Amino acid sequence: MTMRKRLLGWLADAALILYFLFALFPIAWMVILSLKPTNELFSTYFSFSPTLDGYRTVLGDSEGIPFVRFFVNSLVVSLGAVALSLLVGLPAAYASARWRFKGSENLMFTLLSFRFAPELTVIIPLFVLYQKLGLFDTYVGMVWVLQLVTLPLTVWIMRSYFADLTPELEQAALLDGYTRKQAFVRVALPLVKPGVAAVSLLAFIFAWNNFVFPLILTSNEAQTVTVGALSFLGGDRPKYNLTAAAALVSVVPPLLLALTIQRYLVRGLSFGAVKS
Amino acid sequence: MSTAIASTAIALRGIRKAYGRTTALDGLELKVAEGEFFCLLGPSGAGKTTTLKTIAGLEQPDAGTVELDGKDMRGVEPYDRGVAMCFESYALYPHKSAYDNLASPLRSPRHRLPAAKARERIGEIAELLGISALLDRPVGQLSNGQRQRVALGRVLVRPARAFLLDEPLSHLDAKLRQQMRAELKAIGAVQRTTTLYVTHDSVEALALGDRIGVIRDGRIVQTGTREEIWYRPYDTEVARAFGRPRINLLPGTMTPDRGFRSPDGKVELPMLSDTTPGTDVLIGVRPRDLTLGEGAGHQLTGTVYVTEVLGRSVEVTVRLGEQHVSLVAPRGEVTALRPDDPVRLSVRPENLLLFEADRPERPGRRIDHE
Repeated sequence: MTMRKRLLGWLADAALILYFLFALFPIAWMVILSLKPTNELFSTYFSFSPTLDGYRTVLGDSEGIPFVRFFVNSLVVSLGAVALSLLVGLPAAYASARWRFKGSENLMFTLLSFRFAPELTVIIPLFVLYQKLGLFDTYVGMVWVLQLVTLPLTVWIMRSYFADLTPELEQAALLDGYTRKQAFVRVALPLVKPGVAAVSLLAFIFAWNNFVFPLILTSNEAQTVTVGALSFLGGDRPKYNLTAAAALVSVVPPLLLALTIQRYLVRGLSFGAVKS
Repeated sequence: MSTAIASTAIALRGIRKAYGRTTALDGLELKVAEGEFFCLLGPSGAGKTTTLKTIAGLEQPDAGTVELDGKDMRGVEPYDRGVAMCFESYALYPHKSAYDNLASPLRSPRHRLPAAKARERIGEIAELLGISALLDRPVGQLSNGQRQRVALGRVLVRPARAFLLDEPLSHLDAKLRQQMRAELKAIGAVQRTTTLYVTHDSVEALALGDRIGVIRDGRIVQTGTREEIWYRPYDTEVARAFGRPRINLLPGTMTPDRGFRSPDGKVELPMLSDTTPGTDVLIGVRPRDLTLGEGAGHQLTGTVYVTEVLGRSVEVTVRLGEQHVSLVAPRGEVTALRPDDPVRLSVRPENLLLFEADRPERPGRRIDHE
């Protein structure tokens, strides 16, 4: 019996390792690709003379492609989108969790439906509007359009966090002599901190990874890494090693962010389950 | 009590409140006098908490008016009503320490005290409630009984037009509850402040209430002093709600000579009531009002069914024909009693209550008799 159990354990481990290899293979391939010198780019065997030249080129802004600026743009635009979504979304989520009125569910569903619509369906009219309004290729324009991605996410996730809080806590605050706004800021908000951490990370990742909006709505000044990394494929010869290096560099911020708020994230995702 | 001359602190008139199809309050009427300690007693789901929240302005009534100190509170926000409430769920701020919970009202714009004064005040209240040693702890580390005392402290720490207390002692262990019950009314702030105290425990209501209101299905069934509620209960359900062991209710009919007769004829009592002969009625007599052996008043005979020791006294259940009645007697008097021993009982006429028979749609109301 124990023999059989141990065998099953080994099999499970083997299966997991296989899956692990399968899942990591593209990333490993990217790492290898990014370390290859240009003349060995198309070799398919695994021996080559590794070099950091690719990273130097990407981060050194040579080849006429300002990758560092794209990187900074991505940071500014993503953080800005998250900040705006929290600023608008937290009160909205709170209100929608606490105040039911005729049509409130429809309103919430409409907000969610922004996430259903393929971005490509709205991109052409948006492009025209942005050209006319002078928002094309600007930070403000990008932060604004990314609300289509980050705001519904923020509102819907935070709404369930607020709904999990008993309204009696804010009622107690009202009777302690605080206004509704103060009750929200001093009582409700601190209690959904884990949720704010979780939703910030998710929204940041979605904003950072967005491709279509910067592709159409920026050209140079506000362009982000997702589009920028592809610039290395242009020209007479595609430079796959530079694209790989750029892609790997652009993975760093979401990864760092995830690691720093991991502590809150686990609590955030299990919040509903462990509430006493 | 000086309820007649004191002004009305809290007045509820015709309050209706429904949640979807469930009616929580159904035309509730309530008046609490200035400085009074009023107990609202009722089973769970009767509308006690909704009543408190309506007074506090946390729930808006569908109809009716709430008045505090004679002023209509329509449209007045909870923080402007000046009432303090202790929630049954405690509603303590889980991210703060016990001290910060107690300090919360004293840091609010409306009840702000300088930090030093606040500390002094919190110290006094914590001392009173026996939670001084717990002040630094986060509320998550407190037991339910401790949390309940912190919640009570958060109410008592501040001045208020009225205290609304929702089962504030329910989670304390029996000994502490008894002690706190005795101390609660002695607290200066409670003595000075109109207090509406909600409970489902009739002992608590009798011990604490200057007046008691009995609430059922969103209406006040009866209000009165403990004597009024005890000796002149509105109906059989109010009579059953107070006193343990419960009141004995014997079914029977009115006889043409203005008396009561049980169906088997074993219990006959003159009632001197003008109720139509033949009416189905219930005779109510409390276990402590039945005396074993010969005594003043009406006499009854029966046999011992069972005895149960309650401590210094004994509950004796006596068979009267097909009926059982229980009575409470001192232990010394009943040690010799064995099942099936014949016994005589006596009851004073003024301790007999007469009710209409219970009907499916409503409990039997009390009928006056001489």
